[in-house]
Amino acid sequence: MSKHLIKRSALVASVLLSGVVASSALAADIKAGKAVYDKACFACHKSGVMGAPKVGSKDDWSPRAAQGRETLLDHALNGLNSMPARGGNPSLSDDDITNAVAYMLDSAGLELPAAGGKAAKPAETKAEAPKPAAAPAPAPAPVAKAPAQKPKIQFNRLMKGRDEWNPPPAEDGIHDPDNEGTYMLQPPREGMAGFASGISGNRVDWVQTLDSGAIAPRYDRTDPNKKPFVMDLNIVREVKGSMPDVVYPHKQHTEWLDCSNCHPDIFIPKKGANQISMAAILLGQKCGVCHGKVAFPVTECKRCHSKKKKATAFKE
Amino acid sequence: MIETANRLIGLRRLVLALLIAFGGMLGSTAAQAEYGDIVINNYSDEAGMRPAIFPHWFHRIRFRCKVCHADLGFKFEAGGNKINMLKIIDGEFCGACHNGEIAWSPENCNLCHSGKPGTPTQVHHSTVQKLVTETNKEAGQ
Repeated sequence: MSKHLIKRSALVASVLLSGVVASSALAADIKAGKAVYDKACFACHKSGVMGAPKVGSKDDWSPRAAQGRETLLDHALNGLNSMPARGGNPSLSDDDITNAVAYMLDSAGLELPAAGGKAAKPAETKAEAPKPAAAPAPAPAPVAKAPAQKPKIQFNRLMKGRDEWNPPPAEDGIHDPDNEGTYMLQPPREGMAGFASGISGNRVDWVQTLDSGAIAPRYDRTDPNKKPFVMDLNIVREVKGSMPDVVYPHKQHTEWLDCSNCHPDIFIPKKGANQISMAAILLGQKCGVCHGKVAFPVTECKRCHSKKKKATAFKE
Repeated sequence: MIETANRLIGLRRLVLALLIAFGGMLGSTAAQAEYGDIVINNYSDEAGMRPAIFPHWFHRIRFRCKVCHADLGFKFEAGGNKINMLKIIDGEFCGACHNGEIAWSPENCNLCHSGKPGTPTQVHHSTVQKLVTETNKEAGQ
């Protein structure tokens, strides 16, 4: 809601402003525009990356000019597709942007249209919005349709149904559905199809998936044949109370990690030297540096607390 | 004596269970993105770009943790690496692979910068995201 409001107010502001600019200085300062271009715009508009209209190209610029001054400046000031607002440089003023646009139009032998003036072919304008360059990314995901709202019978409100796991990026709440790149990302359900299933996190048991050979992640950035240095050593940590003792397996950890990832910064490699508590883990320290963030979360108690105590006697 | 100890342990467990359950409840109202998705918004909002999103799940299928976290020097901290585009173009951090050779090059702005504007830096779905407030952050240290 607030986003809409901001967008709309920005639009109004830019339209008002462009009107003011147009009446006061119809001929935008092309020379000043070149300075702005050399500072910021050239990064994309010189070579035309991501579908940016190239400087000096009449073919690229005439459909944009045909959209009229307001639209052109609105896109430059507020962004469109791959074009970030103000070219990604918020320190540029509205005049700077106007001048830069005028310069780039001038380079293509065109003029910045006057305010309110819509040029010859309004019918064409809509289709000519800048299109991003074909990205060498995985095939674009099909645009997700909004699922029909039907009443859901849920046993436990904390449990998510299987169809709610691993939603595609556009529906996951943190990716921007207005961003075209969002639809080029591989959807998690497709990427993790066929992996050993888990009960939490990504709903994937990563250790089993790796063991089964379903995935073969590289141990080296460039060398696909480099084998990990696996250390098979279990560390048993006795815990207070009746909770089973913790067995820490070096094997499963060294499959993924290097010794230096944990030692000596997170864990001092010495028996009895590390104070670990569930509170610290929940706050993201010790095991919690990964567990509860990317490795299985602490709700899977038994995966760590796996060694049953022999006697249940309490020490005084 | 034993009875008191028992009661104490019971109480501790109850508190812990509540803490975890409460965390789960808070999480269920939030976004549904993948566990371990990292939102990095150190400079993006200011620069008028969408925040960058790093999907852990996608990368761990292809590389072991060690490659980025030991060889490339990524710290285990969302937003703690102070990554900017200059470093990436120079081949540091993401740029070690995202150079057009191992993975696609950094011109594809909106594949990484794909977050909703204004999303804060976070490890999505982490217990830290759910539980850590300024007060208990201090208490835990």
